[in-house]
Amino acid sequence: MTAPVLEAQPKTEKASAIRVVDCDVHQLVGLAQCREYLPQPFKRMAESGCAPGHLGLHNPIGVVRSDLVESDGKNAASKPDGIGRTLLDPYGIDIALLTGGVYGFSTHPDPDYAAAVCSAYNSYMIEHWLPKDPRFRMAINVATQDAALAAEEIARVGSHPGVCAALISSATQHPLGQRMYHPLFAACEKYDLPLCLHPGSEGTCISNPPTAAGYPTRYLEWHTGISCTFQAHLVSLVCEGVFQKFPGLKIVLVEGGVSWLPPLMWRLDKNWKALRSTVPWITRAPSEIIQERVFMTTQPIEEPPEHRQLKQLFEMFDAEKMLLFSSDYPHWDGDTPDFAVRGFPESFKRRVLAENAVELFGL
Amino acid sequence: MNATLTPAAPAASTRTKHLVAPVAELPPGARKIVKAGRFEVGVFNLKGEYKAALNICPHALAPVCAGPVRGTMLPAEKVEYNWGMDGEVLSCPWHGWEFSLKDGRSLHDPKRCGLKMFEVVVEDGNVYVLA
Repeated sequence: MTAPVLEAQPKTEKASAIRVVDCDVHQLVGLAQCREYLPQPFKRMAESGCAPGHLGLHNPIGVVRSDLVESDGKNAASKPDGIGRTLLDPYGIDIALLTGGVYGFSTHPDPDYAAAVCSAYNSYMIEHWLPKDPRFRMAINVATQDAALAAEEIARVGSHPGVCAALISSATQHPLGQRMYHPLFAACEKYDLPLCLHPGSEGTCISNPPTAAGYPTRYLEWHTGISCTFQAHLVSLVCEGVFQKFPGLKIVLVEGGVSWLPPLMWRLDKNWKALRSTVPWITRAPSEIIQERVFMTTQPIEEPPEHRQLKQLFEMFDAEKMLLFSSDYPHWDGDTPDFAVRGFPESFKRRVLAENAVELFGL
Repeated sequence: MNATLTPAAPAASTRTKHLVAPVAELPPGARKIVKAGRFEVGVFNLKGEYKAALNICPHALAPVCAGPVRGTMLPAEKVEYNWGMDGEVLSCPWHGWEFSLKDGRSLHDPKRCGLKMFEVVVEDGNVYVLA
């Protein structure tokens, strides 16, 4: 496949150098690769395969694309040069934000183990992946069971030049705006790292049920319901005053869907007008705060029956500034750059494919 | 916004003086909803200061002047609760939108959303609204 990505002339020299940024690339690195970086007793735990379980839901397609398995039997996404050959080169992707990873350990019952696994992962990535391709950047993975430990990890590796974001699982024990998470937000703000939320562990181990209605029967239902978790986190972040308390904090909703945002903002704004006194620190419409401080990755971009319906949706919020292209490579529901933006207005393809990410992540 | 800030009061030359009540019937904390020409108006005694508002909420046209008058949590720069405006905030009985009875402005969007306010005068022991 080829990728006729962008036709418009670049506005700036910097933008001309970076035409496509992929904000969600899953290199296949997990617990096995991290073991050598783990201290005891966590190394022993890792060697025993100690990890959060999964729900046991069946995806007959497989979560990782089978066409990426190469002649050596390994998936291209498990090798730095494999990602270059199968994603970055063919689609003209200039920067790949490597998301990993081990963020799912946030649903493990042991907060020390989860933090240690994330630290080991971050060290492994910095040593073995970032030097392999100048297009690689990474979102360090941090665990949410103990936000103070997450803050320590951000302080440890957050200043590395290849690190441009912190990433947590959207599967948490509490709505994310609540104060037990504030040390994590303070660290992200201090180290100027946007905080990414990534789904995938909803309902596993110690996290809450994957939908407010409980545990669905099938992967299809679970996967569709992921957006609900993101909605709950976003409302919590706004109402708890996180954006006032941490004025430098930016939140990136990765892989949580896009189309739900306008009606959620309408609903929140409407309710806030009546219930403002319960959150008196929200002194302007919540939708204004969200559109200034929150970003969304495109994949899995919704596919309405008509492209024009997507354009109509983008008129309902500041899509031009909020959306960041992502492929979710090598997962089964991924979007290539040309596919992702085919229904987008021409006028803001450049922003979504690159410029928003360049500004947000300081690329 | 489907609500607009207090429209200009009718020009002085076209306003008519409408009797609300004798002063004695409208002590501090009391209110009375009266007809004032083509308007229905709520007249409130805020600790000795009279205020009058059109009895139509700019949100959904509810009889806003029938709502409770109390204080509220003041808009805050920090994540903290500060109670204030005690006895000055009219809360719509339908959806709870809050308005300052001092100037009619809404608490959620004071620049763009508020109640239509009327002037009140006291003459010869009676409270009048100009509408």
